Amino acid sequence: MNMGAATQTFDEAELASLIVETLNLDVVSGQIDPEAPLYGEGLGLDSIDMLEIALVVSQRFGVKLRADDENNMQIFQSLRSLSKFIQDRRGS
Amino acid sequence: MSGAARAREWVNRRERGSSWVIKFCVWIALRLGRRAARFFLYPVCLYFFLSSPAASKASRGYLARVLGRAPRRGDVFRHFLTFASCVLDRVFLLNEQGGWFEIRVHGEEIVRAIEQEGRGCMLFGAHFGSFEVARAVGRRRQDRPISLLMYEENARKIRAALAAINPRLAAEVIGLGRLDSLITVADRLQRGHFIGVLADRNVDGRDLVRYPFLGQEAAFPQGPFRVAMLLQRPVVMMVGVYRGGRTYDVYFETLAEALTARPADPQAWLDGIMRRYVARLEEYCRDAPFNWFNFYDFWS
Repeated sequence: MNMGAATQTFDEAELASLIVETLNLDVVSGQIDPEAPLYGEGLGLDSIDMLEIALVVSQRFGVKLRADDENNMQIFQSLRSLSKFIQDRRGS
Repeated sequence: MSGAARAREWVNRRERGSSWVIKFCVWIALRLGRRAARFFLYPVCLYFFLSSPAASKASRGYLARVLGRAPRRGDVFRHFLTFASCVLDRVFLLNEQGGWFEIRVHGEEIVRAIEQEGRGCMLFGAHFGSFEVARAVGRRRQDRPISLLMYEENARKIRAALAAINPRLAAEVIGLGRLDSLITVADRLQRGHFIGVLADRNVDGRDLVRYPFLGQEAAFPQGPFRVAMLLQRPVVMMVGVYRGGRTYDVYFETLAEALTARPADPQAWLDGIMRRYVARLEEYCRDAPFNWFNFYDFWS
């Protein structure tokens, strides 16, 4: 395991395994650095992958993601930011 | 060089070459009107015919396949002229001067039915004939525009060109360069918009699948079809065919009804839909051979 990477929280681990399962990724979900970028370099996801994540997140957590939202870039930045966004929305 | 690199090179070359031609055509066209502007297409095409041996070669390669005989010089010139005519006509269409044309629409009931459902769908086109004339049909019928989804590089250039022609239209271009590009697409479809995508050409070389096309395998991008699958919207093909003179035929046809659940075998579903798309594209090519506007070696 990459010792330089931050550790995943419980919610992040759950989200990571959902993402890996949905996209059929060839990585162990526990090894995704929660602070690394999901899109482009980093995990190497493309915009279709991001769409799949948005769909599965809204389905699983009932959190609706909006288009043309300037926050999208921030929300989808990393596993950590996406997980935080989901928890905030669910809590409210 | 890979096919994708070749496609990218062609895109760059064409954009570079055509920027002054487009500006020149827009200026002439809007002042003189379509009939007079068309006169200028002949010297412009002659210039390209003489100065672009690569495009001529690609044209010959395509025409030999679709016509089933050795193309003559006149065929290649006609191919260029058809392309230039469609480019010129875009100027009028984008400035809402559709009155110059006789546009015959086939299969409009397909779009109307989807509209009544309240949600939009993706309209699958190709670099074939005039996508703009098909979009003009949409614009004429309703306030909801047909957005265009394209690679970011192209999107930037097209937005700039559109801004020069009719600034209101630049917002209708969605670039694929953002992580939330397709979330935007999903949201617009949900709100009843239609989104056009030219699904014959792939610039970034990802997700390519080869299918027989005019007698030999060529690579087509799977991405656009995957998006339609994920969003569970119908797959509708939209083609605007230039028939010469002032006449266009716009065709809408359903390639697949909307899914109600994720298909059990996504790859098989995608394969079926792409086969249908490529087969239909081939038929359109045979019906109107000079409307094919990929002037690079499509089969490489």
